[in-house]
Amino acid sequence: MSASEEAYLSLEEPPRSDHLWRYTPWKRVHPTGNPNEIPDGISTPEISLSMINGEEASDISLEMGNTISIPFEGSLVSNSFLSAITNGKAIRITIPENWRKETPLILDIKPTGGLDAVHIHVETGKFSEATILTRIQGSSEWLGILRTGHTGVGSFLQDVFVNKASDGNLMRVDALKLGRDSSVTAGTVSAGSAWTKADIRYLLDAPGSNLNVLGSLLSADQMHLDHHIEISHLAPNTYSRLAWHTACGGNSTSVGTGMLRIEKGARQADAGQLFHNLLLSEKAKANSIPELEVEENDVVGCGHGTANGPVDESQRFYLMARGLSGEEAEDALVAAFLNSTLSQMGNDDVHAWLIDAVEDALIGLNI
Amino acid sequence: MRESEVMAMEEAREAVGDYDLGWHDPEHSTIRFDSGLSEEVVRKISAIKNEPEWMTEIRVKAYHHFVNRPMPGFGDREALEGIKFDEVCYYLRSSDATEKDWDDVPDDIRNTFDRLGIPEAEQKWLSGVTAQYESEAVYHSIREDLEAQGVIFLDMDSGLREYPDLVKEYFCSVIPYQDNKFSALNTAVWSGGSFIYVPKGIKVEMPVQAYFRINAKNMGQFERTLIIADEGSSIHYVEGCTAPTYSTDSLHSAVVELIALDGAHIRYSTIQNWSANVYNLVTKRGIAHKDASIEWIDGNIGSKLTMKYPSVILKGEGSHAEVISIAYAGKGQHQDAGAKVHHLASNTTSKILSKSISKDGGRGSYRGMVTVSPKAENCKLNVVCDALILDDESQTDTYPTMEVANASARCEHEASVSKVSDDQVFYLMSRGHSEEEALAMIVNGFFEPFTRELPMEYAVELNKLMALEMEGSIG
Repeated sequence: MSASEEAYLSLEEPPRSDHLWRYTPWKRVHPTGNPNEIPDGISTPEISLSMINGEEASDISLEMGNTISIPFEGSLVSNSFLSAITNGKAIRITIPENWRKETPLILDIKPTGGLDAVHIHVETGKFSEATILTRIQGSSEWLGILRTGHTGVGSFLQDVFVNKASDGNLMRVDALKLGRDSSVTAGTVSAGSAWTKADIRYLLDAPGSNLNVLGSLLSADQMHLDHHIEISHLAPNTYSRLAWHTACGGNSTSVGTGMLRIEKGARQADAGQLFHNLLLSEKAKANSIPELEVEENDVVGCGHGTANGPVDESQRFYLMARGLSGEEAEDALVAAFLNSTLSQMGNDDVHAWLIDAVEDALIGLNI
Repeated sequence: MRESEVMAMEEAREAVGDYDLGWHDPEHSTIRFDSGLSEEVVRKISAIKNEPEWMTEIRVKAYHHFVNRPMPGFGDREALEGIKFDEVCYYLRSSDATEKDWDDVPDDIRNTFDRLGIPEAEQKWLSGVTAQYESEAVYHSIREDLEAQGVIFLDMDSGLREYPDLVKEYFCSVIPYQDNKFSALNTAVWSGGSFIYVPKGIKVEMPVQAYFRINAKNMGQFERTLIIADEGSSIHYVEGCTAPTYSTDSLHSAVVELIALDGAHIRYSTIQNWSANVYNLVTKRGIAHKDASIEWIDGNIGSKLTMKYPSVILKGEGSHAEVISIAYAGKGQHQDAGAKVHHLASNTTSKILSKSISKDGGRGSYRGMVTVSPKAENCKLNVVCDALILDDESQTDTYPTMEVANASARCEHEASVSKVSDDQVFYLMSRGHSEEEALAMIVNGFFEPFTRELPMEYAVELNKLMALEMEGSIG
């Protein structure tokens, strides 16, 4: 038994009083439903890297088999489980120093259809600028993705995660550490997987780092989407914003829990979080717990907000007065709601690609 | 500081002091139980009060639930683990009777309430008063005209004796003893508190007040309050609490149940100013029936650890809930306060406004929950939490939960944390105020949405108290 397997098996099942597991208990996330087991036969999904224009990413490659640990502490259970099933090995993507390209990179992940897991580690070099679009598509029974990384001094990273898996369960853990004066735009677009449990964490422990987290999610049918986003400000003059938009239809459940932590010493931190849920059907449910812990008094400001509500009747009326049917008007308003965060995830090319990537998925869903 | 302001400060110090309420009288007891809790203690309390069998049974069941129930899995677990249940005195009777005339109250105790200004306030602006000292009410009165209209305002023990059927119908109906560890403890050893019944259509214009004082060391105070507002009636209940400062800890664990029947209105205002050696672990909840309204106006200034989340269950269509609270967390204090509202019926509305200030290493936490059930159509709810941190040793947290299962609901939550703006301080100083005065004015302005909901006498006292708390904040 490996050290990571031993480490996982020594842990107790986390209680549901912990907000991370309140709505989606670990037992439900675990691939076999038995938390005391590390299942055999975990495969690595098919992974490829290319440019958005179809060309090969000549000076960026996927380096396989690296031993990489998670850069900072998160949930012990999910981190150690994913480390165990990926055997502590990661695929590394390195963006070289001063590498600047507007053309986005696309990281395609295609599950095998059974139980899959992968650890992807991204490092950006000093003053580099890169856009990485991670896309999951295809059928999957259970897919575990551990994404770690850190950004170099003064670098820019646009990191967009698009989930188009047609079915199955997705467990996603992100741990990204931001370097001094680096800037990250982190987008999540989700219109797939029957169950999703995501634990997304950012650490701003170098001065001047800047983070913008955006979510554009659609839950429909019997889907269960549970995203936990934790942002920790440790260093002075750090900035973060979060805008998380979820449209909830069918008989689905959407959960958005956030933790915004301003540690002592994070002077002049400026942080804000907004969770918006649009409820589209009688049976849809939306749960939010946006938490805030502030230990530093010298802050520019920090706050959070949540808003839940139906489609605005006056907006629907406006569109119907201009000839749209009720259904068309609602579709347009849902699209606009999701697009308000989607459009901030990258430049026009990225935006067009994202719309193209999710449009068919949206049409296929029963909201 | 100008002379007039120095005088105002001194006057305020005279009223509230640097916790000037921390004096204590010699212990005055006619019955005092040894420290520690057992089934025997629970049965003895019930026997002393000559209670009906059903109450003894529920006390014993609650005791066993308390023993078996673990500590809450949230909040300040370290502080909670510090409670020494075996060292608490669970029953202390200071007077053999609940008097209707202050002259009949034992001298020491009457002097205490004189110093707290209760008889004076009663004469000026209250409809009725209950004064509880340790485990029992020592004084109780109600205006004759209200009594003639059928308003019942008694201490809880008398309520149980005189109206056993009414108490049996509603006792534990809003907060069952299984609700949490501390509601079980209260149900097991409760003593004192208020029992109020307001008949149909009666509107009690002036507030009634209860004042709770702990005097003895290591004392546990477990009052139980039950307020029933019948159809179309209204009442405003005000409670205040203080205790002496000791080096050992005391425990206050109350349960308050409110029932607002169709169209009724209950406002429950609290100014909690326990000394910094009191654990204040309170469960408060109301049920609002059709078109009824329940308001909690909740001020938390004192105590070592407060865990209190006034709740409203909006059971009837068109009912409304409002929770307006402030918390001041100073040195060694953790104010873990919040609010809960459950929208079970259609067209229900709620508003939660929470304000907190942390200073000198204090920690202020807002912990709240709002839910909308699948069948509750067209609900509206709004939650606002604002926090100020006044120095670099203090902390503030917000833990709100929102669960919405009906698409027609409109729910909003916002929270912000900030420090006192330099611009505001500069503005006030440029108009001749010292920095300390400026800070005190800003803090009072920050709490203004709360103080304007209080009876004027309370609001004035609170402003003075906060001005004193701000002393020494600068430099």
